[in-house]
Amino acid sequence: MIDILLKLLGNGTWAGIAAIGFSIIFNVPKRTLTPIFFLAFCGTFTKFLAMNVGFGIIVSSFFGAIVVGCLTLYVARHFYTPPLIVSIPGVIPMVPGIFIYNFILGLFNLGSGNISDDPKIGNFIFFTTNNGLKAFFIVMGLAIGVAIPMLLTRKESIRGIEHHKSLGSNKKKHLKKQIQ
Amino acid sequence: MNNNKASEVGATLLEIGDILMGSGANTMRIRETMTRIAHSLGYNIELMITHRALSISLSNKDGDFVFSKIKRISPHGVNFRAISAICHMSWNALDEKWSLEKINNEIARIKKLAHYPRLVLLVLVAFADAGFCHNFGGGWKELLVTGIATFVGMTVKQEFGKRHYNPYICVYIAAFVASLLASCSYLLPVEMCNAKAIATSVLFLVPGVPLINSITDLVQGNIQNGVFRGINAFIICFALACGLFTTALIFNQNLL
Repeated sequence: MIDILLKLLGNGTWAGIAAIGFSIIFNVPKRTLTPIFFLAFCGTFTKFLAMNVGFGIIVSSFFGAIVVGCLTLYVARHFYTPPLIVSIPGVIPMVPGIFIYNFILGLFNLGSGNISDDPKIGNFIFFTTNNGLKAFFIVMGLAIGVAIPMLLTRKESIRGIEHHKSLGSNKKKHLKKQIQ
Repeated sequence: MNNNKASEVGATLLEIGDILMGSGANTMRIRETMTRIAHSLGYNIELMITHRALSISLSNKDGDFVFSKIKRISPHGVNFRAISAICHMSWNALDEKWSLEKINNEIARIKKLAHYPRLVLLVLVAFADAGFCHNFGGGWKELLVTGIATFVGMTVKQEFGKRHYNPYICVYIAAFVASLLASCSYLLPVEMCNAKAIATSVLFLVPGVPLINSITDLVQGNIQNGVFRGINAFIICFALACGLFTTALIFNQNLL
């Protein structure tokens, strides 16, 4: 039990590090680096937890993305940033890179023709379509999972809420100071 | 006189759209931000946003048509700092009734926003890929190999990018170099799972932002842009797989 928990924590931490690496490529504002680490940590932790409980990788990634999406609502307001700037790096560690290129390598193999009289051709076709569809559904799940909390609360933009709620209040001035 | 002002406003709006699209914002956000800024300057705006070109048509408050222009989008590479700054600017411009000149100055500032130092970027990307390797079940030896391969691969990608090679070629060469280096671990007298190191050493090239933006656009009804972005991401993945395939040919390994 504790072994599994430690393993999940390790996975989450490394995913956080991966997210930080990618945020640096995407040139995110410095103040969002810490929240991105925690978003990726929580998202990946949830994903691996769900996989340990017995869900498939597609549904698990979807759960992870929902967690990232919910936390994004909070982070975007308190760190004063458009949601996509923290949500995309947050789910990047869950992007199914290996499935995508397994799919394309599978296509190469199917197209190369050395396997046409191979009795295991069915395996190749299964391998290719399985990886391609998994990649597609996971990316779909990530994008939709991140968007779901926003869609459910029917908020197009975090700043929009602040804008309508508190025109001219002190809080906004305070936030503005933080940025500059 | 009036038309002059409209054409300046139009040029500014197109500039903003260009930065947003080039930096990797989704279509909905581009539309909202540009509309917001146009309203703050007192114009109504109709937009057509595609992957490589922007078209706007401005009208004044009475609904009279005043200006129309098309601009080609130059791809700059993902830059979230610019997106963040432009979104803040759009709200501030609306709240505080910014003048056109102030907006132009802010855009000039945003264009010069700093990137992270190169060495920091390379080291952290190496750690990022090592993280992927760990989550795919790699041990410390595999992590080390992946990290080094990624570091060199990313350097190569940046160097080719600086010389303005075709972006897909950059990805192909970077994938080839990274996987070749990772494959060299076969020559080391160390017991390890080389396949994991090779497979994860190219993951820094996977186009995460285009992939996620593609689905976001599709879900929000911007089908055309979603399809474009998806195909773009697919071609990047294709280049990546080609690089990996070349390495596999050299080492005569079956990657599947």
